[in-house]
Amino acid sequence: MLLQISLNALALGAAYGLLALGFVMILNATSAVNFAHGDMVMVGAYLAIALHGVFNIPGALLLPLVMALMALLGFVFSWFAYFPLKDRPPVSVFISTIAIGIVFQNSINAVQGAEPRKGPALLGEGQLALGSLTISEQSLSIIGVALLLIVAQYYLLNRTGIGRKLRATAQDRPMAEALGIRVNRMIALTFAIGSALAGAAGLMLSNTFFTSPTDGSNYILKAYIAVTIGGWGSLPGALCGALIIALFEVVYPSLPVLIPALKEIAPLLFTQTTSTIVLYIGLLCIMFFRPQGLFGEKVQKRV
Amino acid sequence: MGIHTNFSRNYAYVLVAALAAPAAALAQTEITLPVLVPVTGFLSLEGTSQRNGALLAIKNAPPGIKINSSVTDTGASPEGATTALERALSRGKPVAIAASMLGTQMLAMMPIALENKIPLTTVSGTADITEKQNPYVFRFFPGDAVAKAAHVRYVTEELKKKRVALVYQTTAYGQGGRAQIIEQLKKLGLTPVMEEALDVSVKDMSAVIGKVQASNPDVVMIHLHGGPSALFLKQAAAAKLNLPVVAGSGMSQPSTAALLEPAELKGVCAETNAAPLAGGSADMSNFLAQYRAEFKTEPDGFAVGQYDATSMVINAALNGAKTPEDMRKALATTSYKGLAMTYKADAKGNMANSAVIICYDDKSRTPKIAKRYD
Amino acid sequence: MSGIAQTINWSKTGIRPLLILCVLLLAIWPFTMTSAYQIRIFTIVGIYALLSLGYQFIFGHVGALALTQGTFFGVGAYVTGILSTRYGWGGEYTLMLSVLIPIALAAMIAAPVLRLDSHYFALATLGIGQVLLLIAVAWQEVTGGSNGLSGIPALKFLGMEASKGYGIMAVVWGFVVAGAFLSWRITRGLYGAALTISRENPIAALAIGIDTAALRYAMFLLSALFAGVAGALYAHTIKVVSVEALEFPIMVACLTITVVGGRTHIAGAILGAILIINLPEWFRAMEKYYLIAYGVALLVMIVVAPLGLIGLLEQLRVKLWPEQPKQLPAASAPVPAPHAEIMTGTHGTPLLEVKDIHKRFGGVRALNGVSFSIAQGEIFGLIGPNGSGKTTMLNIITGIYRAEAGSVFLLGDNISKKPSFQIARSGVARTFQNINLVDDMTVLDNVAVARYGFEDAGLVQAASAGWHDPAWQRARANAMFILQALGVDLVANQMAGGLPYGSKRKVEIARALALEPRLLLLDEPAAGLNEGEQHDLADRLRTFAKNGLSILVIEHNMPFLMPLAQRMACLDHGELIAEGTPLEIRNNPLVIAAYLGAPEESTV
Repeated sequence: MLLQISLNALALGAAYGLLALGFVMILNATSAVNFAHGDMVMVGAYLAIALHGVFNIPGALLLPLVMALMALLGFVFSWFAYFPLKDRPPVSVFISTIAIGIVFQNSINAVQGAEPRKGPALLGEGQLALGSLTISEQSLSIIGVALLLIVAQYYLLNRTGIGRKLRATAQDRPMAEALGIRVNRMIALTFAIGSALAGAAGLMLSNTFFTSPTDGSNYILKAYIAVTIGGWGSLPGALCGALIIALFEVVYPSLPVLIPALKEIAPLLFTQTTSTIVLYIGLLCIMFFRPQGLFGEKVQKRV
Repeated sequence: MGIHTNFSRNYAYVLVAALAAPAAALAQTEITLPVLVPVTGFLSLEGTSQRNGALLAIKNAPPGIKINSSVTDTGASPEGATTALERALSRGKPVAIAASMLGTQMLAMMPIALENKIPLTTVSGTADITEKQNPYVFRFFPGDAVAKAAHVRYVTEELKKKRVALVYQTTAYGQGGRAQIIEQLKKLGLTPVMEEALDVSVKDMSAVIGKVQASNPDVVMIHLHGGPSALFLKQAAAAKLNLPVVAGSGMSQPSTAALLEPAELKGVCAETNAAPLAGGSADMSNFLAQYRAEFKTEPDGFAVGQYDATSMVINAALNGAKTPEDMRKALATTSYKGLAMTYKADAKGNMANSAVIICYDDKSRTPKIAKRYD
Repeated sequence: MSGIAQTINWSKTGIRPLLILCVLLLAIWPFTMTSAYQIRIFTIVGIYALLSLGYQFIFGHVGALALTQGTFFGVGAYVTGILSTRYGWGGEYTLMLSVLIPIALAAMIAAPVLRLDSHYFALATLGIGQVLLLIAVAWQEVTGGSNGLSGIPALKFLGMEASKGYGIMAVVWGFVVAGAFLSWRITRGLYGAALTISRENPIAALAIGIDTAALRYAMFLLSALFAGVAGALYAHTIKVVSVEALEFPIMVACLTITVVGGRTHIAGAILGAILIINLPEWFRAMEKYYLIAYGVALLVMIVVAPLGLIGLLEQLRVKLWPEQPKQLPAASAPVPAPHAEIMTGTHGTPLLEVKDIHKRFGGVRALNGVSFSIAQGEIFGLIGPNGSGKTTMLNIITGIYRAEAGSVFLLGDNISKKPSFQIARSGVARTFQNINLVDDMTVLDNVAVARYGFEDAGLVQAASAGWHDPAWQRARANAMFILQALGVDLVANQMAGGLPYGSKRKVEIARALALEPRLLLLDEPAAGLNEGEQHDLADRLRTFAKNGLSILVIEHNMPFLMPLAQRMACLDHGELIAEGTPLEIRNNPLVIAAYLGAPEESTV
């Protein structure tokens, strides 16, 4: 049973990881919290559903198309939400992304209705038997595809010329500009990549967990927490943080089942509600004792 | 004689009709019936059902009545509901209002309705709304007490189960339902072998399902909203839970069943007011066809309830209730045969006193009515 | 100038004429309202305006993105709801507790949370809010769970009941006016200037003796106070309290109102509330699409006015109708502060003694056992190649960094463990390598704010001062005197950001002098000054030293430093390699080697 649960947590964490990754990339490039990122995930899911209605092909084949379209949306989004405000205090981008998030959520609600919808499976929706375990095909596919995307993203950022430019822009924009890098293009590209990753997460989550127009706020909260736990600005940290959140959602409340003694000792400590409270308290502890997160750097201001 | 007589008789008829027409026009009733429901936010699915049901009833109103209606969103908070209500009241005196089914919004609107003496018709199940001694609330959906009694009775009487695992939502809907379930079970000397509350944002239910399995129940009662109900059933099927599941009204919404494969619906029953998809009468079939044509989606029990509520209001208006006070009296004293059931108010404003249990088999997504409780 | 003339003058500055007109319109508006709906909307606008006014303290003036404002609001609402429905308490008690409990909560979480950096602070406050929300949902016996509590009675205070409609509206707007007044009082004078510099340049604020942590704490608690009142009034207005009062949308609304209106403008809170609450209502005709219209409108507003609508109006005013600069105050010499007179310790006690300081950053050893001392009235030069640890030494003396080992003594008093702002108040002033003035404040204000420690300024003082803050007036007069002493009084009314580099330097020195220091630490003061200015500065420094001020000068400019300093020390890679008179230092082979050639070669 532990294995079963761990697999579920891994699949969930993988999808959350993509969402957190996109979020932190945009954060690094712009120092701005993109509040609409969760809604991007939701839009990606609905896009996948719409495309699936037209081309009845498995999600894995739709994925590149969804990602491409989401990249385009991210590009347009940056035009409205970020570039008019790029030299302004970051909180104005916070507000502009909140505004666009509202537009996304209510547009989908108006056009598609409020019912929860099920997205296309990546490959199949069956169950595979591995000895005494049953593993869902979808969970495996999610883990596989997410890994692929994370590796691809790593490769892009660390091993290609354009990746170097993206990282330079994210680390020190004035310097990058001085070096002749077209920072605006790099930032737009970052938004595109981040949105594509969000869309991929949306597609993957929409089959197992369904999707509805109001999902966005929940996802952005998770991304925000993941990035803070992992260390603000750290990409591997964001992935780690996402995995930790998934563990708290899945494994922690299951502990009384895995270790029956716990049910006697502290039954109230392991309910779904308390798990969330414990997660937040853990988050607060991390911030007090290790404010730079797990992977972040302790930065001292130069005086 | 002959043709001339016919001609003059016809002429006489035409003359009479022409004279009567303006008189008939003068006699036409005109009422204002605002629709204040959540069409945005987390309850927008249910709110849209309410809206559709009300609007369809207005569309189907028999000739002789003119209905001024507009739809105002109440959003997700009580503040939005009170604002919407005040706005509606400022635009002409309504004879009745189709009101949001969200419990906290109803509770916020009720004092204002009382002050202004305007009846509210709703399909909210929240027990409290009829416990406030407010004579202007009319509930056209089985309240938690009735619905959960049916829910529990089906589990204990029909399925003859004793070990209940209970999974409910942390929202008002869920908490209210759970309170009633516990009370009904207590009356039978039973307590659940396990209980867990879930937030609407919980997506992975492995932990809850694991806990359910570990507590060794013989039946699972769930009282969740639509999406989470579907998630639970889907993941329970994958985890091979193999237990009968009896759910709350969230499961009865067609959109919920649409998310699942028939195989995942095997052994699943739900409590609701009516099952439009199950048909059952010519009127219901007509309603189903009309609703589908008009709104391009399947109706759920809430749409039926609000349709019946609005139809009753229109009917009462046609029978002379043109002021809010008359309407209140009419709603409180007369009975009305609607699509789902016959509605008759009790002392507190509960109009719907019966509930049905619908069950799914593993062959289709259309349920059948398994039992009716009055 | 007579009081009436003063008032007329005051009301002509900035966008005040427009604002006064708007206030009059706002006061008349309720009387034109015909329906309960309009009154209710106006009441809700007032509640959110109050919430936003409170938020401006922590978010606007301190500059910290706190996400607790919604939580304090919800707690205030719940306290009123629970006490009035379950226990039947009257408004006197519920209102008081709706204020005290959020303040207590703020006090509890402030200590650990306020020292976090911006986004961590935001998330910590968010996390606390979420935990409270979950508790409210789960603790059904007390809070009613998700169903909440209904039937909250009207606000009753000492027997008087606020009637629904106009009654509660008047009460709410009464609080808004009171809140606006309090906010104006607190933020207009010396305390307000201290808030500005703490936000714009916290290191500089510490260096002039402002306890920025205490300021943040006070502002956080003040924001909780306003939120608690707003929450209580909310409960009395809609007569139910449920978990929606603690949910994030209220925080988002508050944040949006504050940003759209203007983060530090009182009028902004009210304008923002009017817009944000009314826009969805104005768009209601669009049924399903009304929130889409609202989102678009919000986006347009923030793009057009990222600094808030009031800020935009002020900018327009400056562009279209530029006004006369404010009148400068007459200069008045500061009354010598107590510490300047008392020379504790024996005549021989050095003013500054640095003993065996060690400091490392990660793997880098910045200072390795450095010791030296400076006598009273001495000018001491500190030189060394880049990266040798000079500025680090300065930062350790002023308490910005803590050394791992070693101590610093000021007139025999061990200041090694003292917080930075206290060291400044003990008479240690400094300037910075990169000039640390507040660009958006005038030169005069930049210097005046350094008098904060001398005026016993504080929250209570600011709130209780009269129409003009006498502490601020005195501070500005004193600052004028010092600017004159340094010869930069002509630019007193200019924004510090627009000055040429040399003038900025002098202003920074003026600010340091405003602290009436015993020890002045200058980090590369001659950089950017032409030769004439350098001579001028050197002369002034000598005069100060003759009057008893000890000065430590870090410099690379040897022609400037050599004739000025009486003793010098040279650092290299964190070690003190030479100490003595300028002549001895110049000829010291270690020093020459460290610099790879005497820097004097250019003048030979």
